[in-house]
Amino acid sequence: MITAQHLTKRYGDHAAVDDVSFTARPGRVTGFLGPNGAGKSTTMRMLCGLTAPTTGQATVVDRPLRSMANPGRTVGVLLDASAQHAGRTGREVLSLSAQLMGLPSSRVGAVLETVGLTDAESRKRTRSYSLGMRQRLGLAHALLGDPTVLVLDEPANGLDPAGIRWMRELLRGFAADGGTVLLSSHLLREMEAVCDDLVIIGGGRILAQGSASELLSGPSTRVRSVDDRALTAALTAAGHTVERTDEGTLATAASPEEVGRVALAAQVVLTELRAATSTGLEQLFFDTTAQHGREGIAA
Amino acid sequence: MSAATTTHVPTRPSGARPDDAARAADARRGIPFLRLARVELRKQLDTRAGAWLLGVIVLVNAALITLMLTTAEPGALTWMGLTETASFGQIMLLPLIGIMAATSEWSQRTAVTTFVLEPRRSRVNGAKLLAAVVLGLGVMVATLAAAALLNVVGLVARDGDGAWTLDLALVGGTVLALAILVTQGVAFGLALLSTPGAIVAYLALPTAWTVLSALVEGLRGPSEWLDINMTMLPLMAGEMGDGDWARLAASVGVWVALPLAIGLWRTARREVA
Repeated sequence: MITAQHLTKRYGDHAAVDDVSFTARPGRVTGFLGPNGAGKSTTMRMLCGLTAPTTGQATVVDRPLRSMANPGRTVGVLLDASAQHAGRTGREVLSLSAQLMGLPSSRVGAVLETVGLTDAESRKRTRSYSLGMRQRLGLAHALLGDPTVLVLDEPANGLDPAGIRWMRELLRGFAADGGTVLLSSHLLREMEAVCDDLVIIGGGRILAQGSASELLSGPSTRVRSVDDRALTAALTAAGHTVERTDEGTLATAASPEEVGRVALAAQVVLTELRAATSTGLEQLFFDTTAQHGREGIAA
Repeated sequence: MSAATTTHVPTRPSGARPDDAARAADARRGIPFLRLARVELRKQLDTRAGAWLLGVIVLVNAALITLMLTTAEPGALTWMGLTETASFGQIMLLPLIGIMAATSEWSQRTAVTTFVLEPRRSRVNGAKLLAAVVLGLGVMVATLAAAALLNVVGLVARDGDGAWTLDLALVGGTVLALAILVTQGVAFGLALLSTPGAIVAYLALPTAWTVLSALVEGLRGPSEWLDINMTMLPLMAGEMGDGDWARLAASVGVWVALPLAIGLWRTARREVA
Protein backbone atom coordinates (compact mmCIF):
# COMPACT_ATOMS: atom_id res chain seq x y z
CA MET A 1 0.00 0.00 0.00
CA ILE A 2 1.18 3.49 -0.91
CA THR A 3 -0.42 6.60 0.55
CA ALA A 4 0.16 10.21 -0.40
CA GLN A 5 -1.37 12.69 2.04
CA HIS A 6 -1.60 16.31 0.94
CA LEU A 7 1.80 16.17 -0.73
CA THR A 8 3.04 19.57 -1.83
CA LYS A 9 6.42 20.48 -3.30
CA ARG A 10 7.26 24.10 -3.96
CA TYR A 11 10.25 25.45 -5.84
CA GLY A 12 10.19 29.13 -4.96
CA ASP A 13 6.74 30.37 -5.90
CA HIS A 14 6.03 27.48 -8.22
CA ALA A 15 4.17 24.48 -6.81
CA ALA A 16 5.35 21.46 -8.82
CA VAL A 17 3.05 19.28 -6.75
CA ASP A 18 0.06 20.86 -5.06
CA ASP A 19 -1.89 19.06 -2.33
CA VAL A 20 -1.83 15.61 -3.89
CA SER A 21 -3.56 12.79 -1.98
CA PHE A 22 -4.19 9.27 -3.20
CA THR A 23 -3.84 5.63 -2.19
CA ALA A 24 -2.48 2.73 -4.22
CA ARG A 25 -3.97 -0.47 -2.80
CA PRO A 26 -2.57 -4.00 -2.50
CA GLY A 27 -3.72 -6.42 -5.18
CA ARG A 28 -4.27 -3.59 -7.63
CA VAL A 29 -2.30 -1.78 -10.31
CA THR A 30 -2.67 1.96 -9.95
CA GLY A 31 -1.94 4.06 -13.02
CA PHE A 32 -0.46 7.52 -12.54
CA LEU A 33 -1.16 9.76 -15.51
CA GLY A 34 -0.56 13.31 -16.56
CA PRO A 35 1.09 15.48 -19.22
CA ASN A 36 4.82 16.21 -19.14
CA GLY A 37 5.64 18.44 -16.19
CA ALA A 38 2.42 17.56 -14.37
CA GLY A 39 4.37 16.54 -11.25
CA LYS A 40 4.30 12.75 -11.64
CA SER A 41 8.04 12.18 -11.23
CA THR A 42 8.32 14.69 -8.39
CA THR A 43 5.48 12.91 -6.58
CA MET A 44 7.14 9.54 -7.13
CA ARG A 45 10.46 10.88 -5.82
CA MET A 46 8.68 12.10 -2.70
CA LEU A 47 7.10 8.65 -2.24
CA CYS A 48 10.61 7.15 -2.45
CA GLY A 49 12.17 9.59 0.02
CA LEU A 50 14.47 11.14 -2.60
CA THR A 51 12.80 14.54 -2.44
CA ALA A 52 11.53 16.07 0.79
CA PRO A 53 7.96 17.35 0.46
CA THR A 54 7.39 20.98 1.39
CA THR A 55 4.28 19.84 3.26
CA GLY A 56 2.35 16.59 3.49
CA GLN A 57 3.45 13.03 3.95
CA ALA A 58 4.02 9.93 1.86
CA THR A 59 4.01 6.43 3.29
CA VAL A 60 4.70 2.97 1.88
CA VAL A 61 3.08 0.16 3.86
CA ASP A 62 2.15 2.71 6.56
CA ARG A 63 5.69 4.09 7.00
CA PRO A 64 7.68 6.85 5.33
CA LEU A 65 10.28 5.07 3.19
CA ARG A 66 13.08 7.04 4.86
CA SER A 67 12.25 5.48 8.21
CA MET A 68 12.66 1.92 6.90
CA ALA A 69 15.81 0.02 7.82
CA ASN A 70 16.07 -2.03 4.61
CA PRO A 71 13.53 -0.48 2.21
CA GLY A 72 14.59 -2.57 -0.79
CA ARG A 73 12.99 -5.63 0.83
CA THR A 74 9.62 -3.89 0.91
CA VAL A 75 9.51 -1.60 -2.09
CA GLY A 76 11.01 -2.00 -5.57
CA VAL A 77 11.67 1.26 -7.36
CA LEU A 78 12.42 2.14 -10.97
CA LEU A 79 12.42 5.90 -11.45
CA ASP A 80 14.93 6.32 -14.26
CA ALA A 81 16.30 3.41 -16.26
CA SER A 82 19.23 5.46 -17.55
CA ALA A 83 20.46 6.26 -14.02
CA GLN A 84 22.99 3.42 -13.95
CA HIS A 85 26.77 3.69 -13.73
CA ALA A 86 27.91 3.44 -17.35
CA GLY A 87 31.13 1.66 -16.37
CA ARG A 88 29.48 -1.16 -14.40
CA THR A 89 28.04 -4.36 -15.84
CA GLY A 90 24.34 -5.08 -15.48
CA ARG A 91 25.06 -8.14 -13.39
CA GLU A 92 27.37 -6.13 -11.11
CA VAL A 93 24.67 -3.49 -10.57
CA LEU A 94 22.32 -6.23 -9.36
CA SER A 95 25.00 -8.06 -7.36
CA LEU A 96 25.88 -4.88 -5.44
CA SER A 97 22.28 -4.30 -4.43
CA ALA A 98 21.74 -7.98 -3.58
CA GLN A 99 24.77 -7.85 -1.30
CA LEU A 100 23.55 -4.61 0.25
CA MET A 101 20.08 -6.01 0.95
CA GLY A 102 21.54 -9.24 2.35
CA LEU A 103 20.13 -11.44 -0.42
CA PRO A 104 21.70 -14.65 -1.73
CA SER A 105 23.55 -14.11 -5.02
CA SER A 106 21.23 -16.65 -6.68
CA ARG A 107 18.60 -13.91 -6.62
CA VAL A 108 20.56 -12.01 -9.31
CA GLY A 109 20.29 -14.84 -11.83
CA ALA A 110 16.63 -15.28 -10.96
CA VAL A 111 15.61 -11.69 -11.70
CA LEU A 112 17.78 -11.56 -14.84
CA GLU A 113 15.84 -14.56 -16.10
CA THR A 114 12.54 -12.95 -15.11
CA VAL A 115 13.20 -9.83 -17.18
CA GLY A 116 14.71 -11.74 -20.10
CA LEU A 117 18.29 -10.45 -20.04
CA THR A 118 20.73 -13.10 -21.23
CA ASP A 119 23.86 -14.08 -19.36
CA ALA A 120 26.05 -12.49 -22.06
CA GLU A 121 24.06 -9.23 -21.94
CA SER A 122 24.30 -9.09 -18.17
CA ARG A 123 28.11 -9.17 -18.38
CA LYS A 124 28.31 -6.09 -20.59
CA ARG A 125 28.76 -2.61 -19.17
CA THR A 126 25.52 -0.63 -19.11
CA ARG A 127 27.10 2.02 -21.38
CA SER A 128 26.37 -0.32 -24.30
CA TYR A 129 22.75 -1.07 -23.31
CA SER A 130 19.79 0.00 -25.43
CA LEU A 131 16.95 1.83 -23.67
CA GLY A 132 14.90 -1.38 -23.69
CA MET A 133 17.74 -3.30 -22.01
CA ARG A 134 18.14 -0.55 -19.42
CA GLN A 135 14.43 -0.78 -18.65
CA ARG A 136 14.72 -4.53 -18.21
CA LEU A 137 17.73 -4.08 -15.95
CA GLY A 138 15.82 -1.44 -13.99
CA LEU A 139 12.84 -3.77 -13.62
CA ALA A 140 15.16 -6.58 -12.52
CA HIS A 141 16.58 -4.20 -9.92
CA ALA A 142 13.10 -3.26 -8.72
CA LEU A 143 12.13 -6.93 -8.36
CA LEU A 144 15.44 -7.94 -6.74
CA GLY A 145 14.46 -7.58 -3.09
CA ASP A 146 11.22 -9.54 -3.66
CA PRO A 147 9.22 -6.47 -2.60
CA THR A 148 5.49 -6.20 -1.94
CA VAL A 149 5.26 -2.74 -3.48
CA LEU A 150 6.48 -1.52 -6.88
CA VAL A 151 6.92 2.14 -7.89
CA LEU A 152 7.68 2.38 -11.61
CA ASP A 153 8.09 5.60 -13.60
CA GLU A 154 7.48 4.92 -17.30
CA PRO A 155 8.87 1.39 -17.26
CA ALA A 156 7.40 0.58 -20.70
CA ASN A 157 9.39 3.39 -22.31
CA GLY A 158 11.72 1.84 -24.91
CA LEU A 159 10.34 -1.70 -24.63
CA ASP A 160 9.39 -3.50 -27.82
CA PRO A 161 5.75 -4.65 -28.27
CA ALA A 162 6.54 -8.13 -26.93
CA GLY A 163 8.32 -6.52 -23.99
CA ILE A 164 5.33 -4.30 -23.25
CA ARG A 165 3.01 -7.29 -23.30
CA TRP A 166 5.40 -9.21 -21.09
CA MET A 167 5.51 -6.33 -18.62
CA ARG A 168 1.71 -6.13 -18.53
CA GLU A 169 1.57 -9.78 -17.54
CA LEU A 170 4.34 -9.31 -15.00
CA LEU A 171 2.51 -6.43 -13.31
CA ARG A 172 -0.86 -8.22 -13.43
CA GLY A 173 0.81 -11.26 -11.86
CA PHE A 174 2.49 -9.13 -9.21
CA ALA A 175 -0.83 -7.54 -8.24
CA ALA A 176 -2.64 -10.90 -8.37
CA ASP A 177 -0.13 -12.16 -5.79
CA GLY A 178 -1.22 -9.35 -3.48
CA GLY A 179 1.39 -6.77 -4.43
CA THR A 180 0.84 -3.03 -4.83
CA VAL A 181 1.86 -1.40 -8.12
CA LEU A 182 2.08 2.33 -8.81
CA LEU A 183 2.88 2.89 -12.45
CA SER A 184 3.22 5.93 -14.66
CA SER A 185 3.17 5.82 -18.44
CA HIS A 186 2.11 7.82 -21.47
CA LEU A 187 1.05 4.65 -23.31
CA LEU A 188 -2.64 5.16 -22.64
CA ARG A 189 -3.91 1.96 -24.26
CA GLU A 190 -1.39 0.02 -22.25
CA MET A 191 -2.48 1.76 -19.06
CA GLU A 192 -6.11 1.02 -19.91
CA ALA A 193 -5.22 -2.63 -20.28
CA VAL A 194 -3.22 -3.00 -17.09
CA CYS A 195 -4.60 -0.57 -14.49
CA ASP A 196 -7.31 -1.23 -11.92
CA ASP A 197 -7.21 2.31 -10.53
CA LEU A 198 -6.27 5.62 -12.09
CA VAL A 199 -4.87 8.86 -10.70
CA ILE A 200 -4.69 11.71 -13.21
CA ILE A 201 -2.73 14.85 -12.38
CA GLY A 202 -2.09 18.07 -14.24
CA GLY A 203 -0.37 21.26 -13.13
CA GLY A 204 0.61 19.51 -9.89
CA ARG A 205 -2.99 18.84 -8.85
CA ILE A 206 -5.15 15.76 -8.89
CA LEU A 207 -7.68 16.08 -11.69
CA ALA A 208 -9.44 12.73 -11.39
CA GLN A 209 -9.01 9.52 -9.46
CA GLY A 210 -10.92 6.32 -8.89
CA SER A 211 -11.28 2.83 -10.29
CA ALA A 212 -10.63 2.55 -14.01
CA SER A 213 -14.03 0.96 -14.71
CA GLU A 214 -15.76 3.82 -12.88
CA LEU A 215 -13.80 6.60 -14.57
CA LEU A 216 -14.01 5.11 -18.04
CA SER A 217 -17.70 4.23 -18.07
CA GLY A 218 -19.38 7.55 -18.55
CA PRO A 219 -23.06 7.02 -19.53
CA SER A 220 -22.82 7.95 -23.14
CA THR A 221 -24.50 7.44 -26.49
CA ARG A 222 -22.98 7.63 -29.95
CA VAL A 223 -25.19 8.68 -32.82
CA ARG A 224 -24.91 9.43 -36.56
CA SER A 225 -27.63 10.96 -38.71
CA VAL A 226 -28.23 12.41 -42.15
CA ASP A 227 -28.53 15.88 -40.57
CA ASP A 228 -26.25 16.18 -37.54
CA ARG A 229 -26.83 19.91 -37.26
CA ALA A 230 -30.57 19.56 -36.83
CA LEU A 231 -30.09 16.67 -34.43
CA THR A 232 -27.57 18.64 -32.34
CA ALA A 233 -30.01 21.56 -32.16
CA ALA A 234 -32.89 19.28 -31.13
CA LEU A 235 -30.81 17.48 -28.48
CA THR A 236 -29.50 20.78 -27.12
CA ALA A 237 -33.04 22.14 -27.02
CA ALA A 238 -34.03 19.04 -25.06
CA GLY A 239 -31.38 19.90 -22.48
CA HIS A 240 -28.62 17.47 -23.44
CA THR A 241 -25.00 18.32 -24.12
CA VAL A 242 -23.64 17.17 -27.46
CA GLU A 243 -20.06 16.81 -28.66
CA ARG A 244 -18.57 15.64 -31.89
CA THR A 245 -16.09 12.76 -31.39
CA ASP A 246 -12.90 12.05 -33.32
CA GLU A 247 -14.61 9.24 -35.21
CA GLY A 248 -17.21 11.67 -36.57
CA THR A 249 -20.16 10.60 -34.45
CA LEU A 250 -22.02 12.77 -32.01
CA ALA A 251 -21.61 11.90 -28.33
CA THR A 252 -24.21 12.78 -25.74
CA ALA A 253 -25.04 11.81 -22.19
CA ALA A 254 -28.66 11.16 -23.17
CA SER A 255 -29.71 7.50 -23.38
CA PRO A 256 -30.19 5.86 -26.81
CA GLU A 257 -33.95 5.83 -26.19
CA GLU A 258 -34.04 9.57 -25.49
CA VAL A 259 -31.93 10.27 -28.58
CA GLY A 260 -34.31 8.15 -30.66
CA ARG A 261 -37.35 10.04 -29.39
CA VAL A 262 -35.75 13.45 -29.98
CA ALA A 263 -34.77 12.39 -33.51
CA LEU A 264 -38.28 11.15 -34.22
CA ALA A 265 -39.79 14.42 -33.03
CA ALA A 266 -37.31 16.45 -35.07
CA GLN A 267 -37.77 14.14 -38.05
CA VAL A 268 -34.06 13.44 -38.46
CA VAL A 269 -33.07 10.09 -39.98
CA LEU A 270 -30.54 8.23 -37.82
CA THR A 271 -27.85 6.11 -39.52
CA GLU A 272 -26.26 4.82 -36.32
CA LEU A 273 -27.33 4.73 -32.69
CA ARG A 274 -25.52 2.87 -29.92
CA ALA A 275 -24.60 3.04 -26.25
CA ALA A 276 -20.88 3.64 -25.79
CA THR A 277 -19.64 1.24 -23.14
CA SER A 278 -16.45 3.11 -22.45
CA THR A 279 -15.26 6.60 -23.14
CA GLY A 280 -11.68 5.35 -23.48
CA LEU A 281 -8.72 6.47 -21.46
CA GLU A 282 -7.47 8.72 -24.23
CA GLN A 283 -10.73 10.67 -24.19
CA LEU A 284 -10.71 10.81 -20.40
CA PHE A 285 -7.09 11.93 -20.39
CA PHE A 286 -7.68 14.80 -22.80
CA ASP A 287 -10.97 15.75 -21.15
CA THR A 288 -9.33 16.07 -17.74
CA THR A 289 -5.92 17.45 -18.66
CA ALA A 290 -6.94 19.73 -21.56
CA GLN A 291 -5.92 22.97 -19.90
CA HIS A 292 -2.64 21.50 -18.61
CA GLY A 293 -1.33 20.07 -21.87
CA ARG A 294 1.32 21.86 -23.87
CA GLU A 295 -0.16 21.52 -27.32
CA GLY A 296 -3.54 23.06 -26.62
CA ILE A 297 -5.35 20.08 -28.15
CA ALA A 298 -9.05 20.50 -27.60
CA ALA A 299 -10.66 17.43 -26.14
CA MET B 1 17.49 -10.09 -26.50
CA SER B 2 15.03 -12.86 -25.84
CA ALA B 3 12.16 -10.46 -25.79
CA ALA B 4 9.38 -12.82 -26.74
CA THR B 5 8.80 -14.13 -23.24
CA THR B 6 5.08 -13.69 -23.27
CA THR B 7 4.31 -16.42 -20.77
CA HIS B 8 3.53 -15.25 -17.28
CA VAL B 9 6.70 -15.50 -15.25
CA PRO B 10 5.72 -15.34 -11.60
CA THR B 11 7.82 -12.90 -9.64
CA ARG B 12 7.46 -15.08 -6.60
CA PRO B 13 5.85 -18.40 -5.80
CA SER B 14 2.13 -17.79 -5.86
CA GLY B 15 -0.07 -18.51 -2.88
CA ALA B 16 1.82 -18.78 0.39
CA ARG B 17 4.70 -16.37 0.78
CA PRO B 18 7.36 -18.11 2.83
CA ASP B 19 9.61 -15.12 2.24
CA ASP B 20 7.45 -12.76 4.27
CA ALA B 21 9.13 -13.77 7.52
CA ALA B 22 12.59 -13.26 6.04
CA ARG B 23 11.53 -9.85 4.73
CA ALA B 24 10.20 -8.78 8.10
CA ALA B 25 13.41 -9.93 9.78
CA ASP B 26 15.53 -8.04 7.23
CA ALA B 27 13.44 -4.92 7.69
CA ARG B 28 13.93 -5.09 11.49
CA ARG B 29 17.66 -5.70 11.32
CA GLY B 30 18.40 -3.17 8.64
CA ILE B 31 21.69 -2.99 6.81
CA PRO B 32 24.75 -3.40 9.06
CA PHE B 33 27.30 -0.59 8.61
CA LEU B 34 30.13 -2.96 7.76
CA ARG B 35 28.06 -4.55 5.01
CA LEU B 36 27.38 -1.08 3.65
CA ALA B 37 31.12 -0.33 3.74
CA ARG B 38 31.94 -3.63 1.99
CA VAL B 39 29.52 -2.76 -0.81
CA GLU B 40 30.98 0.75 -1.08
CA LEU B 41 34.50 -0.71 -1.29
CA ARG B 42 33.36 -2.99 -4.08
CA LYS B 43 31.77 -0.01 -5.86
CA GLN B 44 35.10 1.85 -5.79
CA LEU B 45 36.80 -0.95 -7.71
CA ASP B 46 34.15 -2.51 -9.96
CA THR B 47 33.86 0.33 -12.47
CA ARG B 48 36.11 0.79 -15.45
CA ALA B 49 37.42 4.08 -14.02
CA GLY B 50 38.19 2.53 -10.62
CA ALA B 51 40.00 -0.44 -12.13
CA TRP B 52 42.01 1.85 -14.41
CA LEU B 53 43.09 4.12 -11.56
CA LEU B 54 44.25 1.16 -9.49
CA GLY B 55 46.08 -0.17 -12.54
CA VAL B 56 47.81 3.17 -13.08
CA ILE B 57 48.88 3.26 -9.40
CA VAL B 58 50.50 -0.17 -9.82
CA LEU B 59 52.17 0.95 -13.06
CA VAL B 60 53.54 4.19 -11.57
CA ASN B 61 54.90 2.32 -8.55
CA ALA B 62 56.37 -0.42 -10.73
CA ALA B 63 58.11 2.15 -12.91
CA LEU B 64 59.58 4.01 -9.92
CA ILE B 65 60.71 0.76 -8.29
CA THR B 66 62.33 -0.45 -11.50
CA LEU B 67 64.15 2.83 -11.80
CA MET B 68 65.37 2.54 -8.22
CA LEU B 69 66.37 -1.11 -8.53
CA THR B 70 68.42 -0.47 -11.64
CA THR B 71 70.00 2.90 -10.94
CA ALA B 72 70.13 3.54 -7.19
CA GLU B 73 73.23 2.97 -5.06
CA PRO B 74 73.19 -0.63 -3.77
CA GLY B 75 73.39 0.81 -0.24
CA ALA B 76 69.99 2.50 -0.70
CA LEU B 77 68.22 -0.73 -1.57
CA THR B 78 66.48 -1.49 1.73
CA TRP B 79 62.95 -2.58 2.58
CA MET B 80 62.28 0.90 3.94
CA GLY B 81 63.73 2.68 0.94
CA LEU B 82 61.81 0.56 -1.53
CA THR B 83 58.57 1.01 0.43
CA GLU B 84 59.00 4.77 0.42
CA THR B 85 59.50 4.83 -3.33
CA ALA B 86 56.61 2.47 -3.96
CA SER B 87 54.21 4.64 -1.94
CA PHE B 88 54.31 7.52 -4.38
CA GLY B 89 51.60 6.23 -6.74
CA GLN B 90 48.90 5.87 -4.09
CA ILE B 91 49.75 9.19 -2.41
CA MET B 92 49.20 10.86 -5.76
CA LEU B 93 46.29 8.89 -7.18
CA LEU B 94 44.35 7.00 -4.50
CA PRO B 95 42.52 10.17 -3.36
CA LEU B 96 40.99 10.30 -6.86
CA ILE B 97 39.21 7.00 -6.15
CA GLY B 98 37.83 8.65 -3.02
CA ILE B 99 36.67 11.63 -5.09
CA MET B 100 34.93 9.40 -7.62
CA ALA B 101 33.31 7.31 -4.89
CA ALA B 102 31.63 10.48 -3.67
CA THR B 103 30.81 12.17 -6.98
CA SER B 104 29.80 9.23 -9.18
CA GLU B 105 26.54 8.71 -7.27
CA TRP B 106 25.49 12.11 -8.63
CA SER B 107 27.32 12.30 -11.95
CA GLN B 108 26.28 8.76 -12.90
CA ARG B 109 22.93 9.32 -11.14
CA THR B 110 23.11 6.07 -9.19
CA ALA B 111 22.00 8.07 -6.12
CA VAL B 112 18.44 7.30 -7.26
CA THR B 113 18.94 3.64 -6.37
CA THR B 114 21.58 3.98 -3.65
CA PHE B 115 19.49 6.26 -1.44
CA VAL B 116 16.30 4.24 -1.89
CA LEU B 117 18.10 1.12 -0.62
CA GLU B 118 19.69 3.05 2.27
CA PRO B 119 17.90 6.37 2.86
CA ARG B 120 20.27 7.44 5.63
CA ARG B 121 22.62 9.30 3.33
CA SER B 122 25.25 10.26 5.90
CA ARG B 123 25.53 6.58 6.77
CA VAL B 124 26.24 5.82 3.11
CA ASN B 125 28.81 8.63 3.01
CA GLY B 126 30.43 7.30 6.18
CA ALA B 127 30.64 3.87 4.56
CA LYS B 128 32.28 5.45 1.50
CA LEU B 129 34.85 7.14 3.72
CA LEU B 130 35.64 3.96 5.66
CA ALA B 131 35.88 1.98 2.42
CA ALA B 132 38.26 4.51 0.86
CA VAL B 133 40.54 4.51 3.94
CA VAL B 134 40.47 0.69 4.13
CA LEU B 135 41.40 0.58 0.45
CA GLY B 136 44.32 2.88 1.24
CA LEU B 137 45.47 0.59 4.08
CA GLY B 138 45.14 -2.43 1.79
CA VAL B 139 47.27 -0.77 -0.87
CA MET B 140 49.93 0.10 1.75
CA VAL B 141 50.03 -3.50 3.00
CA ALA B 142 50.42 -4.70 -0.59
CA THR B 143 53.16 -2.12 -1.10
CA LEU B 144 55.07 -3.35 1.97
CA ALA B 145 54.77 -6.93 0.70
CA ALA B 146 55.94 -6.01 -2.81
CA ALA B 147 58.81 -3.95 -1.39
CA ALA B 148 59.88 -6.92 0.74
CA LEU B 149 60.00 -9.14 -2.33
CA LEU B 150 61.94 -6.53 -4.26
CA ASN B 151 64.34 -6.11 -1.34
CA VAL B 152 65.31 -9.75 -1.87
CA VAL B 153 65.67 -9.08 -5.59
CA GLY B 154 67.93 -6.11 -4.77
CA LEU B 155 70.01 -8.29 -2.44
CA VAL B 156 70.50 -10.99 -5.04
CA ALA B 157 70.72 -9.04 -8.28
CA ARG B 158 72.56 -5.91 -7.23
CA ASP B 159 74.15 -6.90 -3.96
CA GLY B 160 71.95 -4.31 -2.26
CA ASP B 161 72.02 -3.38 1.41
CA GLY B 162 68.84 -5.40 1.99
CA ALA B 163 68.23 -4.14 5.51
CA TRP B 164 64.91 -5.30 7.00
CA THR B 165 64.50 -2.55 9.58
CA LEU B 166 61.45 -0.34 9.09
CA ASP B 167 61.28 3.21 10.39
CA LEU B 168 57.91 2.90 12.12
CA ALA B 169 57.45 6.67 12.34
CA LEU B 170 57.97 6.88 8.60
CA VAL B 171 55.67 3.97 7.74
CA GLY B 172 53.03 5.16 10.20
CA GLY B 173 53.34 8.73 8.93
CA THR B 174 52.90 7.60 5.33
CA VAL B 175 49.85 5.52 6.24
CA LEU B 176 48.31 8.43 8.16
CA ALA B 177 49.11 10.86 5.32
CA LEU B 178 47.45 8.52 2.85
CA ALA B 179 44.37 8.25 5.07
CA ILE B 180 44.21 12.07 5.37
CA LEU B 181 44.56 12.57 1.60
CA VAL B 182 41.94 9.92 0.78
CA THR B 183 39.56 11.49 3.29
CA GLN B 184 40.26 14.86 1.71
CA GLY B 185 39.38 13.36 -1.68
CA VAL B 186 36.04 12.03 -0.40
CA ALA B 187 35.38 15.37 1.33
CA PHE B 188 36.05 17.42 -1.82
CA GLY B 189 33.93 14.99 -3.83
CA LEU B 190 30.99 15.31 -1.43
CA ALA B 191 31.30 19.09 -1.19
CA LEU B 192 31.43 19.67 -4.97
CA LEU B 193 29.53 16.60 -6.31
CA SER B 194 31.20 16.96 -9.69
CA THR B 195 34.09 14.70 -10.68
CA PRO B 196 36.13 17.16 -12.78
CA GLY B 197 35.37 20.03 -10.40
CA ALA B 198 36.40 18.06 -7.33
CA ILE B 199 39.59 16.70 -8.96
CA VAL B 200 40.69 20.16 -10.08
CA ALA B 201 39.86 21.69 -6.70
CA TYR B 202 41.62 18.88 -4.83
CA LEU B 203 44.77 19.21 -6.92
CA ALA B 204 44.83 22.97 -7.40
CA LEU B 205 43.45 24.70 -4.31
CA PRO B 206 46.00 23.58 -1.67
CA THR B 207 48.82 24.22 -4.16
CA ALA B 208 47.40 27.63 -5.01
CA TRP B 209 47.45 28.42 -1.30
CA THR B 210 51.09 27.32 -1.09
CA VAL B 211 52.03 29.56 -4.03
CA LEU B 212 49.99 32.46 -2.70
CA SER B 213 51.57 32.29 0.73
CA ALA B 214 55.01 32.21 -0.90
CA LEU B 215 54.19 35.43 -2.75
CA VAL B 216 52.30 37.33 -0.06
CA GLU B 217 54.39 37.94 2.99
CA GLY B 218 51.44 38.51 5.30
CA LEU B 219 50.17 35.00 4.66
CA ARG B 220 53.31 33.21 5.72
CA GLY B 221 52.44 33.21 9.40
CA PRO B 222 48.96 31.68 9.02
CA SER B 223 50.29 29.42 6.28
CA GLU B 224 52.43 27.52 8.75
CA TRP B 225 49.16 26.36 10.20
CA LEU B 226 46.95 26.25 7.17
CA ASP B 227 49.11 24.95 4.31
CA ILE B 228 48.44 21.22 4.28
CA ASN B 229 51.22 20.63 1.75
CA MET B 230 53.69 21.98 4.32
CA THR B 231 52.19 20.44 7.47
CA MET B 232 52.19 16.98 5.82
CA LEU B 233 55.92 17.10 5.00
CA PRO B 234 57.21 16.16 8.47
CA LEU B 235 54.50 13.52 8.72
CA MET B 236 55.53 11.80 5.51
CA ALA B 237 59.19 12.13 6.48
CA GLY B 238 58.47 10.49 9.84
CA GLU B 239 59.84 13.53 11.66
CA MET B 240 56.94 14.98 13.55
CA GLY B 241 58.33 17.34 16.16
CA ASP B 242 56.96 19.74 18.78
CA GLY B 243 54.00 21.71 17.44
CA ASP B 244 53.89 19.75 14.20
CA TRP B 245 50.85 17.78 15.34
CA ALA B 246 48.94 20.95 16.21
CA ARG B 247 49.79 22.52 12.86
CA LEU B 248 48.79 19.32 11.05
CA ALA B 249 45.49 19.24 12.94
CA ALA B 250 44.74 22.87 12.05
CA SER B 251 45.39 22.36 8.35
CA VAL B 252 43.40 19.11 8.32
CA GLY B 253 40.54 21.01 9.92
CA VAL B 254 40.53 23.53 7.07
CA TRP B 255 41.21 21.22 4.11
CA VAL B 256 39.55 17.97 5.24
CA ALA B 257 37.07 18.44 8.08
CA LEU B 258 35.48 21.61 6.71
CA PRO B 259 34.78 20.31 3.17
CA LEU B 260 33.64 17.01 4.70
CA ALA B 261 31.13 18.84 6.90
CA ILE B 262 29.91 20.90 3.93
CA GLY B 263 29.64 17.73 1.83
CA LEU B 264 27.68 15.77 4.44
CA TRP B 265 25.31 18.68 4.93
CA ARG B 266 24.86 19.15 1.19
CA THR B 267 24.24 15.52 0.27
CA ALA B 268 21.84 15.02 3.17
CA ARG B 269 19.61 17.83 1.91
CA ARG B 270 20.08 17.56 -1.81
CA GLU B 271 17.21 16.48 -3.97
CA VAL B 272 17.94 13.30 -5.91
CA ALA B 273 16.71 13.61 -9.48
